[in-house]
Amino acid sequence: MLSRNLFKSIAAGTIVLGLGFSLAYAAADDQIKARQAEMKANGKAMGALVAIMKGEAPYDAATVKASLDAMAAADAAAGEAKAWDASSMEGATVETWAKPEIWAEGSDIGAKYQAWVDARATLAATTDEAGFKAAFPALGQACQSCHESFRRPKG
Amino acid sequence: MLGFTAFWLVSAPRPLPASAIPAHAGNIANGEILYTAGGCRNCHKSNAEQAGLDPDLPSGGFPLKTPIGVLYPPNLTPDAETGIGNWSDLDFVNAVQRGISKSGQHLIPAFPYTSYAAMPVEDVLDIKAYLMSLPPVSSPSREAGIPIAFLLRRGLGLWKFLGLDTAPWQPDSSQTATWNRGSYLVNGPGHCGECHTPRNLIMARDGSRFMMGGPHPEGQGKVPSLHGLVETGRYKDQKDLVLALQNGEVFGYENMSSGGMGQVQANMAKLPQADVEAIAEYLISLK
Ligand code: HEC
Ligand code: HEC
Ligand code: HEC
Repeated sequence: MLSRNLFKSIAAGTIVLGLGFSLAYAAADDQIKARQAEMKANGKAMGALVAIMKGEAPYDAATVKASLDAMAAADAAAGEAKAWDASSMEGATVETWAKPEIWAEGSDIGAKYQAWVDARATLAATTDEAGFKAAFPALGQACQSCHESFRRPKG
Repeated sequence: MLGFTAFWLVSAPRPLPASAIPAHAGNIANGEILYTAGGCRNCHKSNAEQAGLDPDLPSGGFPLKTPIGVLYPPNLTPDAETGIGNWSDLDFVNAVQRGISKSGQHLIPAFPYTSYAAMPVEDVLDIKAYLMSLPPVSSPSREAGIPIAFLLRRGLGLWKFLGLDTAPWQPDSSQTATWNRGSYLVNGPGHCGECHTPRNLIMARDGSRFMMGGPHPEGQGKVPSLHGLVETGRYKDQKDLVLALQNGEVFGYENMSSGGMGQVQANMAKLPQADVEAIAEYLISLK
């Protein structure tokens, strides 16, 4: 009898444990989705700025501001959703392209993130086309340097 | 025993003979372009821990992570003790085009000699002339972090026997001169196929899936296909692709930074305008 109960409680424990895991993974799914939504918003905002850079659209201070505001909002929403916590390393059903190195010891993800925040601030302080065009590459480089180290290619 | 003898014979290094080296006055300017297109410095740069070394020089030692272990690509500056200062032209060509070291061992194909083999010998000698024009840096090489490196190196001979294609690159006379220049840079020094062409069962590039993309050779993520870059809407036209290769993500082109492509793109940015246009002309012709 005893062994039977033991078996039952082990089985129950396993189920609870398993449930715990899948809950954690479901939460990770949401975190990953939030991270990818943040990045999609970045990509969209970037598009408007690049058009000015390439001369496809005229310089327009309001567009620049709106794009940088969109990035700031995406950044804040991701923070809210804990989109960069270590618990978001792997999802249950959602695939992530973030590399686990982000959360490894000695990772400089913090510096890469800060470079992006700083580049946004520098760009926001520009007031004319020449200033914008001089400051813009640093923003693009901030995106590039984080992806170079911490994003896997999608193929 | 017979099998082992066969293995030993087949796996022996097959260096080029001295007669394969033409009389050639090295062209340093051409060498620098091919060195840039070939991404030599990306792998042969100095290790960040070795303070005081000029990071722009290929003095070697930066760890290169591969699925079989960590390699430390050696010093390519003309230092006599630790670099290639004492290398003959033949030593250099055998390393870059046949994957055989000065001491006669097989080199591990993480070093893409499998693509460099397609270059004319003169171009390889130009790269050597460029390297010899750099300041020498003393930086001893470091053994690969692979426990069975000795056996692996010998086993590589067998792999080369089966999978190393040493056929030189051939122009296509039905195409323009600029297309051919692009084809050469992509398939020779640029070694784009080392990542963009998937590998077959013996880990050689699978010609039947040329530039079709696939799993990343270093094991993380997938490499995109280079076919239909315009048809699939990824780039508007040749001009758009030129801008992408020259500016990458700085101009919002999203698929140019991860999985080693960022370094390739940075090299493209340093090539002469005409060469980038040639590469783009060739790439968009892959339908
Ligand atoms: C601090 C690091 C970091 C910075 C800075 C950064 N990214 Fe990302 N980005 C990532 C990571 C990690 C991913 C992969 C996310 C995932 O799949 O979970 C990603 C993914 C993306 C994607 C693909 C999203 C998708 O799922 O389709 C785009 C587009 C993108 N980033 C654009 C940008 C742009 C534009 C910038 C700069 C304005 C930028 N990123 C700055 C880390 C960064
Ligand atoms: C993807 C990385 C990579 C690139 C790109 C690369 N190499 Fe190397 N190279 C290596 C590795 C790794 C080794 C050592 C292989 C071994 O230990 O078996 C090596 C070895 C060599 C050697 C032999 C050195 C010696 O001391 O035995 C020479 C010469 C060399 N490379 C020249 C070049 C030149 C020239 C280029 C550019 C045209 C180049 N490499 C590009 C990774 C690379
Ligand atoms: C070290 C491996 C590697 C080498 C070598 C390499 N690539 Fe790539 N390439 C990639 C990866 C990985 C991506 C996807 C990057 C991303 O999504 O951020 C890519 C993306 C690209 C793209 C963008 C494709 C798209 O879908 O938009 C082009 C164009 C390209 N490479 C051209 C080249 C050319 C030309 C060369 C040679 C000069 C080359 N690549 C060499 C790995 C490589």
